[in-house]
Order: sequence, then C-alpha cells, then structure tokens
Amino acid sequence: MKKLLISKKTKGILGAIAFPIVFIAFWQLFILAGFPSARFLPSPYKVLQKFVILFSDPTYSHNIAVSLQRVMIGFFIGTLAGFIFGLLMGLSKTAEKIFAPFFHAVRQVPMIGWIPLIIMLFGMNELPRVLIISVAAFYPITLNTFSGVRNVPREYLELASVYGYKGLTLIRKIIIPAALPSIATGISLGLAMSWSVLMVAEIFIQTAFGIGTQIQRGRDRFDIALVIAGIITVGVLGYSMTLLVQKIVKAVERGQVISADK
Amino acid sequence: MAKKFLQRLGLKDKLLAIIVPLLVLAAWQGAVSQKLCSELILTPPLTLLNTLLELAQSGDLTLNILASLKRVMIGFLLGGTSGFVIGILMALSPFLNRIFGPLIKALQQVPEFAWMPLIIMFLGIDEFAKYFFVAIGAFYPMVLNTYQGVSGVPEKYHELARVFDYKSFRYLFKVIIPSALPSIITGIRLSLGLSWMFVVGAELFGSDSGVGYLMTWGRAVFQIDLVMAGLILVGVIGFAMNFLLERAEKQFLLWREPVDGRPA
Repeated sequence: MKKLLISKKTKGILGAIAFPIVFIAFWQLFILAGFPSARFLPSPYKVLQKFVILFSDPTYSHNIAVSLQRVMIGFFIGTLAGFIFGLLMGLSKTAEKIFAPFFHAVRQVPMIGWIPLIIMLFGMNELPRVLIISVAAFYPITLNTFSGVRNVPREYLELASVYGYKGLTLIRKIIIPAALPSIATGISLGLAMSWSVLMVAEIFIQTAFGIGTQIQRGRDRFDIALVIAGIITVGVLGYSMTLLVQKIVKAVERGQVISADK
Repeated sequence: MAKKFLQRLGLKDKLLAIIVPLLVLAAWQGAVSQKLCSELILTPPLTLLNTLLELAQSGDLTLNILASLKRVMIGFLLGGTSGFVIGILMALSPFLNRIFGPLIKALQQVPEFAWMPLIIMFLGIDEFAKYFFVAIGAFYPMVLNTYQGVSGVPEKYHELARVFDYKSFRYLFKVIIPSALPSIITGIRLSLGLSWMFVVGAELFGSDSGVGYLMTWGRAVFQIDLVMAGLILVGVIGFAMNFLLERAEKQFLLWREPVDGRPA
C-alpha cells in the first residue's frame, strides 16, 4: 500500500525533472572536480548568476523584444505571401505550371546560402534580416496552403456548386475552411523555420540588438556564461512559441471537426 | 514534390515548364543589356555561365566543391553515426531513453546556428570546428529517425527472433536494422541535407576553401557573379544529394511509404 503514496502523475513529474537535476548536478561536479578541460566552462551556478544580472539589465529585455519583433514581422510577411501564393497555385493550374518549377528550384538553395547575396544587395540592415526570416516562413506555408487547397474534398466542391458559390464566396466559405488544417501545419512549420533562421540573420548580418547579437557579443568578450545564457534564452523562447502555436493548431483542428460534424 | 509535379504534367505542360523559365532568363538577360538594371547588382545569366565556366577551367570549382564535400562527409559520418548508435540504444533500452530523450529534446529547441559562437570559442575556427558543426546538424534527424524506426519494429519480429534464438549482433543486424531501414534511410537523407546546409554556414563564418568561401570571397571583392555562382552551386549540389538519396530510398523501400518532414 505504501507504494500508492506516489501517484502515477507525481511519478511522471519526478521522472521529467529528475534528469535535468542530475544533469546540472553532474555539470557542477565536473567543474568542481577541476579538470583542466573544464577551465573555460562556466558552472551552472555562474550561468544562473548571469541570468540574475541579465534580468535586471534592460538591454537583455530589449534584445528579446527586438528579436521577437523581428521574427514576428518576417513571419507575418512570409505567412501572408505564402498564403496568397499557395492559394493562387492551388486554385489555378496555369499558375501552378508557371510558378511551381521556379518555386521548387529556388527552394533547393538552403536559407544560409542567400546570406552573402542579400547582404550585397541590401547591405547590413534590418531589411535583409526580415527578408530572410520571411522567406524561411514562406516555403512551408506556400507548400501546405497549396496542398490543402488541392486536397479539398470533391464533395465539398460539388456542394458548393449546388449552392451556387463562386469566386470569392467559394474561396472564403469552402476552400479556405477545408484547407485550414493543412495551412495551420504550414504556419507552425513556418514559425519554427523563422525562429531558426533568426539566429542566422542576427549572427551573420551584424546588428546592434537581438539575442543572436547577445550570443555574438558574449563570444567577443569571451564571456561563455553570457553565450550559454543566450542559447538557453533562444531555446526557451523558441519552445514556448512552438507550444503556443501547437495549441492554436490543435484548436483549429478541433474547430474543424466540430464544423464538419454539423 | 518537384518530381511528382513533373510526372503529372503532360508533354505540352512539360514544354511550358521549360519555356517559361527560358523566357524569364531571356528577360533577365535583356533587362541587364538594356541597362534597365545594373550589371553590378544583377548578373545576367550569360555572364553567370561564363563565371562558372571560368571557375571550372581554373580548377577553383572542383577544389572548392571537393573541400565542401569532404567536410560534409566527415561531419555527416561523425554526427550520423553517433545519431544512429544513440537512436538504436534509446529505442532498445528504456533506461537510456530516459537519459538521452529529454537531453536531446532540450538541445533540439536551440536553433543550430546559435551554437556556432560557442563552438568557435571552444574549438576555434579550424577544420575540426566545422566538422563538429556539421555533425550537430546531421545528428538530430538521424537520432530521431533511427529511434522511430527501431521502436517501430513490430512485436512479431522480436518474437520470431526469440524463437530463432538470435542474440546481440545477429539480432541487431538480421532483425532490428533491416526492419528499421526505411526510417533510417529517411534519416540519412534529411541528415545529409542539413549537413550540406551547415557546411555552407560554417564556411561563410570563416574558411579558406569551400563553396561557402567562394561566396564570402565574391562578396569581399564585390563580384556579385561569384556570389550568385556559389548560390547556384549550393542549390544544385544540395538538390543532387537529395535526389540521389530519394532514389535510393525508393529502391530500398518499395514496400513502405517514405516518411517525410523535418523533425519539428
């Protein structure tokens, strides 16, 4: 009976936090053991101290705000363009034939490859940074909108023609709602890509503020604790954004099921 | 996606798919020669072709491509192999899964390029740092797909292996790996794709050879044709690698649908 004192839920939670605690403990011990290779590695306690300093430092919150803003602007532009472009290619076979080969050819170039070119064309300022972030979001959203629109069930379209829906009404009432789950998947992939490319944008296209800049600055000053704090910040922010978007996507899908039942 | 697209098109459409890009290239060439757009900003296609040919003739092309490919291969072998081994271990041992699972999940939240400054601080900016960076990129898709593949080995195979009394190596090579192969090959393809991207990134950061270096150098001397030639090389080589592996994927795995998608 005693075993029941620890319920399954607490067991799960314990299991989840046990690992990080053990990991951090090992890290701290490793430092305390004084291996020569650990000379440069800051202890977890030092990183924590760094976070305490950062939290009271307005530059830190400013860096976060600038990065978030950058991602949001780029992501918004990319989403909008990808949505329109995907919709266009999904609706019109002619548009697909004209644009799809280009789209697929250009998509072969990894995002990082564009960096030297866009720096040459636009210089080191905010425009290329936002541009590359929006292109990162653009690809998955275009692809998923396209396939969502193409895969609208035939019955829906038949029903729409019975109702006499045409043009914009058809798009607004039938096609977009039916393609929504796929579009939502595209959006969550796009956000993940944007966030990942943000680091590329901030590290390769030098800028005064941003988390990427903070990490770079830490490197310049050989302040490894600052670098690690920056990496943790990026990870935590990215993860929270992913969770948020996943929640929204799930909600959209649930709405889809409900409306389909009706 | 691109191939499916081409298959769906008829002959007339195939023609259209060739003509339209040609028209655009012609318009591009025309716009520059009519001085609608400066040559310094947008290199015309013919000049670009010329640049590529010159690079090929001088031997710079092969040299730099080989340098990049070498880095990709070494980094991929480092990261891919460790991903493969850890993936199998995680799938077979719940204990190791509990150790590595959360660690990998946590590390995965960090965009790979954010590691770059840290790697440079610890390893410098020489070859090994590049291998390491490429290995990070290769690691995630490999570990995830191997894990998925091995944990998806059907229970009946395990039972059969027990009946035949297959143990350790035989069990691994006769049952586990063949059954997980589809997923593993998908992992290899995704992982090689990322390796390619990361090698270009690492070379842009600082190097004296490679396709990425070609581009940084072009930027430094303000020769936009070099930058664009590098861009084309990056795209073509990445595409070729993916294409070959997709082929291999289909050859090996006629019986299963390929699993696609970047690990989220």
